[in-house]
Amino acid sequence: MTDERALIAASKDGDPAALDALVRTHQNRVYGFAMRMCRNVEDAKDILQETFLGMVRSIREFREESQFSTWLYRIASNACLKKRRRGVHDPTPAQELSLDDLMPRPDAEGRKPEIADWSDDAERALLRGELSARMEAAIDKLPKEYKIVLVLRDVEGLSAEETAQAVGLSVAAVKSRLHRARVFVRRELADYLAESGKTGSRESKSLRVDHTQ
Amino acid sequence: MTCRELFERLSEYVDGELSQELCQEIRKHLDGCDPCVNFAKTLKTTSELCRRLPSQPIPPEVAADLRSFLTRHLPKPS
Repeated sequence: MTDERALIAASKDGDPAALDALVRTHQNRVYGFAMRMCRNVEDAKDILQETFLGMVRSIREFREESQFSTWLYRIASNACLKKRRRGVHDPTPAQELSLDDLMPRPDAEGRKPEIADWSDDAERALLRGELSARMEAAIDKLPKEYKIVLVLRDVEGLSAEETAQAVGLSVAAVKSRLHRARVFVRRELADYLAESGKTGSRESKSLRVDHTQ
Repeated sequence: MTCRELFERLSEYVDGELSQELCQEIRKHLDGCDPCVNFAKTLKTTSELCRRLPSQPIPPEVAADLRSFLTRHLPKPS
């Protein structure tokens, strides 16, 4: 990559070629993130345009205390959280995912819950191309305050600190939301693999959280 | 440590974010609790699988639209 710091410095001086190079460097990343958050091209285009317009207008305020990409994720995250998606009923805003609801429970006789290790089955299903759509659907069921944390941290690979910067939360709040979101997606995968006969029975039918109500 | 207490800290555990003392307590619990072992393993797998989800590259026409949008909305160099 061309030296990004030099491009940022030139962009701050209003060099259009440097700004264009920054856009080109980061457009795939921002588009992929926006598509995952919005799940349709028109909304993702809006996020993309808002993000890069914000970048161009406020690049002089970028103080280089964080990675440039984290700063861009922050602009894009704000745009995603503000956006009402077309034709989609987002799960209730700020709805809390309760750990008590998500935790597998002992059965009626007090025996520990049966938890299968389906790691290898999931790996094989992913390689066969079966799992990606299921995982995307599971992630999309999350309320967006949880979804954005999981996407930044687990899909995009930001650290907890970078995710906290991007969404304007404390690191502790990021960890708490990430854990709930991850446990939720894990259970969706466990249920899918059980239903498709790859593992034992469903873990927790009675404990499912319905976000559509 | 109970299953519930372990459950609360499990993401931090699989992400390697806990103190040595807490990790030791967790490992002690995991030694005798198969459901928690499998839960921890599949939670880690879930996180790893997320990282491998393919991202959609920007279609050329969307990139072109972005370029013309920015050109329209930015002040012209003087």
